[in-house]
Amino acid sequence: MKFCYFHLMPWTDLDEAPSQWPASNASFSPQRAKELYDGYIDSMVFAEQCGFDWVGCNEHHFSPYGLMANCNLIGSALAYRTRDIKLAMLGNLVPLLNPVRVAEEYAMLDVMSGGRLIAGLIRGVPHEYIAYNVNADESRARLREAVSLIIKCWTEPEPFGWEGEYYQYPSISLWPRPWQRPHPPILMSASNEESAEFCGEFKAIMGLTLIADLAIARRSIDIYRRATAMQGFTPPPEYILCGYNTCIMDDDAEARHTLEEGQRYFHRVLMHSIRDAQRLVITRSRYFGQDQAGETFVKRLVALKERTIDEQIEAGSVFCGSPDKVIQQMKRVHGELGNGMFNLNFKIGNIPDAAVTRGMELFRDKVLPAVRDL
Amino acid sequence: MVTQNMFTTETATLSTGPVTYRKGGDGPAILHIHGTGGPNHSTVLDELAKRHTVYHPVAPGWDGTPRHDAVRSVSDLADIYADFIRTVIGGPCDVIGVSFGGWIALWLAVRHPDLVQQMVLEAPAGLRDPGTGGLPVDPDELHRQTYARPERAPPPSRTKDAYWINRRLRDELGAGISLDQPLLESLPKITARTLVLFGDKDRISPAMPAAHRMRLGIPHVHMTYVYDAAHALEFDQPEKLTNLISAFFERGEGFLVRSTAG
Repeated sequence: MKFCYFHLMPWTDLDEAPSQWPASNASFSPQRAKELYDGYIDSMVFAEQCGFDWVGCNEHHFSPYGLMANCNLIGSALAYRTRDIKLAMLGNLVPLLNPVRVAEEYAMLDVMSGGRLIAGLIRGVPHEYIAYNVNADESRARLREAVSLIIKCWTEPEPFGWEGEYYQYPSISLWPRPWQRPHPPILMSASNEESAEFCGEFKAIMGLTLIADLAIARRSIDIYRRATAMQGFTPPPEYILCGYNTCIMDDDAEARHTLEEGQRYFHRVLMHSIRDAQRLVITRSRYFGQDQAGETFVKRLVALKERTIDEQIEAGSVFCGSPDKVIQQMKRVHGELGNGMFNLNFKIGNIPDAAVTRGMELFRDKVLPAVRDL
Repeated sequence: MVTQNMFTTETATLSTGPVTYRKGGDGPAILHIHGTGGPNHSTVLDELAKRHTVYHPVAPGWDGTPRHDAVRSVSDLADIYADFIRTVIGGPCDVIGVSFGGWIALWLAVRHPDLVQQMVLEAPAGLRDPGTGGLPVDPDELHRQTYARPERAPPPSRTKDAYWINRRLRDELGAGISLDQPLLESLPKITARTLVLFGDKDRISPAMPAAHRMRLGIPHVHMTYVYDAAHALEFDQPEKLTNLISAFFERGEGFLVRSTAG
């Protein structure tokens, strides 16, 4: 079993939820943000010492939910402060961006890190389409074309042009090309059936997040496996990555309390205005090609918000407790899903950094030795 | 608006025999060289004919036209097209070669560089690795591999028997060659600025390594992938093809520059 230490880089200092989306930045303090960036990057560097295989970050816009408008900037900082750990950009929201620029930045990061990039090519959650004013109806088609173009950018041995539906470039030639050949491993979100199939079609690593029900997650994995089989590809276990909010403390009660407080801030403050924006996109666009997928997405968010910690543990949605309990929980999920990779987020909402660090130490000393060989 | 109906069918007498061709439009001349199956009139030709005179000959022997005794190879066929340019068009012109026609166009540009001003090759044959690509025998598979957008495929314009007569002629002249080594070695002789187009889903003429070979061999060449297109580029993505070819022929190297200045 492999592990990714994932960070959202949340803004932790809001007293009240933003009244609407996008969140007002009137109270933003650059000095405080500098402290947060420093601490968060230190924590991500520490992940390497804790035995994590990957360190992960992602892209969000216009919100205290996460301070990474471009996770590649964090990746480049990590490239020079870490040695072996893979740098998982989870990832660039390619339908919102210039795909050639994404290919270039990822190639830079791959070379700068000596071939440690995991390239997340992500569609992005619905509200990001408001932020960058991109037609949400086109999200899937844009992703498909952008991914095809990015792969060509990385693999073509000579300059080439691209005449596409959404992207046109008369002549492209990447400097640098990526370190890894034929190109860095690609990761895509596969949290619904449609995206699981898409992910398998591209033989990408599948990323499952917001798991509200293990049976639904297992169905996505089955679809992914069928889609990869159609491509003549058998994904290794680490190609199935399951994302988990994780809180490991010395005893169960402390862990429950810590996670509860962090989740309260997460749902009440960080997610508050995002939910409204997401609902707007889902109801006013064809972001989800299948109506059912939109409903499922909303239901999943509601379920994750309203469940108690015990209910979340029972549903296989979080890892929380003492090291022994977390080991049991990880074994159970692995038994149900057969995944070979967990993507662990310790900094949920405003959980204190000291608690995050303690959780990482317990992971290193007690959890990892017991689950590494799963 | 120029349409297929406004193309006229004529016959020219070349030094080696008669050639039937369709002609439409007005303006600088474009010679369009068809592929294995024979001429297929796409809307791209209609669009190009709005600002060009488009010549669309039937290769001797195709579609029941008389064979020319002098034609025993692809390069011989290129010489027929050179004769056509001199005799019918009257001087150098821009050339489009489609699939097998791209192979012919390459030989035309190698052997008669003075007659080819600019050249567009759509999924050209003749430079692919042995054992890769090629035309499937099974009709359903052939259709699947020809079109990425089957709903845009034209209705059949000839019987299956007629198609296979054309195809056997192609096989005879192509002599079962996938990689035309003499052509590969002659690519540096091409003086025409060349645009090579491949569909990103083309399995019949896969872009690599043919595009790489042309890139290394032809002195002035650009290669562009047409997204969501297989082998029949003009039918899968007619608007994109029209825009690319028009920009390349009309603006030369300037087609690289996005501008409303023209």
